[in-house]
Amino acid sequence: MKLRKPVRVIALLMCLCVLLSVFPALPRVQAAKLPDKTLQSDIAGIINWKKRDVGSSPDGYLINNTFLELAGTTPGDWFPIGLGRYGYPDNDRAYLAVIADKVSKRYRQSEKLSASKATEWHRISLAILAMGGDPTKIGRDADGKPINLIADGTYNRGKTVPLGKQGINGWIWGLIALDALRYPIPSGSYYSRDDIISEILRCQLPDGGFALTGQVSDPDITAMALQALAPYQSSTKAYSYQDKNKTQKTKSVKEVTGEALSALSKMQGSDGGYASWGTQNVESACQVVVALCCLGINPETDPRFMKNGKTAVDGIMKYRMSDGGFMHSLIADSDNPSSVPNKSNSMASEQTLYTLVALYRYRNGMRTLYDFRPESKKIAAAAVSSVPAKKDTASSRPKEKNNPSSSSVSSEKQENSTVLFTQADRKAVDALPENPTTEQYTQVVQLLDKLEKSADFDQKSNCLKKLQAAKGKIEMVQNAVDRLNQDIAEKLYPIESLTLTDRQTVYDIASRYNALSGYDQKKISHSGDILRAKTQVDNLQRAVVISVVLVAVAAGAAAYLLMRAKKRKKTKQAARPDFGADEDGKEYP
Amino acid sequence: MKKDVLAFAFLALLVAVLISGTKIQSVDEYYLTHLDDITPNSQTVTVSIRCDTVLQNWNQLDPALQSEKYVPANGVILPATKVVLRPKDTAFDILDRTVRAKKIQMEYQGADQNQFGSVYVKGIHYLYEFSCGPLSGWMYQVNGIYPNYGSSKYTLHPNDVMEWVYTCDLGRDVGNEWKEAG
Repeated sequence: MKLRKPVRVIALLMCLCVLLSVFPALPRVQAAKLPDKTLQSDIAGIINWKKRDVGSSPDGYLINNTFLELAGTTPGDWFPIGLGRYGYPDNDRAYLAVIADKVSKRYRQSEKLSASKATEWHRISLAILAMGGDPTKIGRDADGKPINLIADGTYNRGKTVPLGKQGINGWIWGLIALDALRYPIPSGSYYSRDDIISEILRCQLPDGGFALTGQVSDPDITAMALQALAPYQSSTKAYSYQDKNKTQKTKSVKEVTGEALSALSKMQGSDGGYASWGTQNVESACQVVVALCCLGINPETDPRFMKNGKTAVDGIMKYRMSDGGFMHSLIADSDNPSSVPNKSNSMASEQTLYTLVALYRYRNGMRTLYDFRPESKKIAAAAVSSVPAKKDTASSRPKEKNNPSSSSVSSEKQENSTVLFTQADRKAVDALPENPTTEQYTQVVQLLDKLEKSADFDQKSNCLKKLQAAKGKIEMVQNAVDRLNQDIAEKLYPIESLTLTDRQTVYDIASRYNALSGYDQKKISHSGDILRAKTQVDNLQRAVVISVVLVAVAAGAAAYLLMRAKKRKKTKQAARPDFGADEDGKEYP
Repeated sequence: MKKDVLAFAFLALLVAVLISGTKIQSVDEYYLTHLDDITPNSQTVTVSIRCDTVLQNWNQLDPALQSEKYVPANGVILPATKVVLRPKDTAFDILDRTVRAKKIQMEYQGADQNQFGSVYVKGIHYLYEFSCGPLSGWMYQVNGIYPNYGSSKYTLHPNDVMEWVYTCDLGRDVGNEWKEAG
């Protein structure tokens, strides 16, 4: 037996070789496809892992007040993108309310969302779309006009800062955001679609792929470029451009897509996984799977993306942890020390979430992850029925969002629905503290948004007044925090050079710090230096007080001594007039 | 009289104390106000901040920053400076404390604001990421090696030499060779 087993294996392999030569298009080995149920339970596993991470219960929303603090940031926006595209019922409205408020505030700064990164506009736009909002009408700018993130972040970005200021990512994500709803570009805009496409094409490297820098392509950037080019993959339109090596090229998106795909296929590891910057990791495999799904290529069966019977999906699944989350890499990555091997990590988990959602959408014939156009009715209905009904959670959730796919199907839906401002909401308004802190920010913004959209009811104007007052106060606290941080940096250093003339400034800073709530005090950086500065000026003050006292004592003592000496002199003169001129009475005790 | 002599001597001493300006402090107060004094017993590290690469890539630099106010002619924002190392200080702690003491502008993103769970230094001395081309930004090296991970995760050791350098090519131009795939 021992001898025969390898023989049988060899025989089998030979059979396979024969078969392969006859049917070269057949996959060499049929990979085990992830069962639909496993896919869905793995998606649920990530969502529940993140819920625990933000202190929410399994029945509660992932988007709770803790999570909402991150709305509009990189660690915040990708989870909602994954949730929304899965059609998972969560607190979408709250996310939209808070992100609209945060975007409005950031738009009051001269650089708006960022001085250099257009991807801020792109990521936020995708999150807004996934949550059922409209990124072309979100919040209010300084003039009170609705903000159009798509215009400002894509076709008109060049009017202020080039879209590619941050490099290839600006072009790639700009195109993804622009095509999320196939937004038309009005005439007179700064960039055309072709401008953006050719900027991506000219970043192609000689090996067919793409990278942030250098001449060797990277799986993540190659995959992202493919995600952006996916809607144009069949286009044979010729683009003429000069590439990064200053070579004149004429290529179509179809050609470039094909070359990038072969480069991506070559980069795949022997176990189906991908490595970037020398480390195999989950996120690279995620981007590849998303790219393939965007292109309509089955990542689980396409022979180009199968190595030893393993696919990129296998390259993701090996990072799954027993707690439901995903880890970044099996080996410690010095580039990312927060991702300890054998520990779930937020970036790995969020990317895996939206990747599995992309795969889920692909399997169900839905539109791709970044194609937010409405589904055809038949597909939408089928997909809705296949998303697991959440009996345990549905009852505890508001009824307004009972269709799990509504957010991904229609971005108009939420705006038209009348919101019920519940009894619990009214109680929450009454329970607001007299002097709210920034801790209540997300809550107040949500309530206010809900109230503004709700039908009229008794006490509505009263509630509105209270909430607006609370919001105003919170903004003032936030301003106080910002100003205090600025003043500390500008006025307290170097601490050892502070003089008594700074005493008032230091005391003013200290009293402003003490006036803040504990929650807000944590937002003051280097607050310990306030005490140091105060000690410094107090010591100086004390030195002055002590000096004054000492001078007074010294002067008093000197005066007393002089007077005594004078007295003695007089006494001496009276007693012994013949010794009158003698200086003191030393010799006459 | 002997008493008077003593009294005058005491007065002279008082005046001497006042003139020498000795502060009267408790131990805690002394510690608080002398936290960053370098004494023979202090543990120290050396920190410097440079932006030489910008001088070589002047035409890529944001026009608003094309001034000696932001880019010193010799590229040195902070020459090598010895600072006190407190226990558990990270590379970021030292940078943060030093720029405060030296009143050098700095902006960073908190560890909770990015996916790496580490502080990200966005700009120093008004030079920001992408201020000088798409591959530009701040990096740090310790004893000549680029750790390639968040400065708030890197614990410094006594006598370490830390340099914050501005790169215009993801580190290549400041001696950090990336390992490339393939």
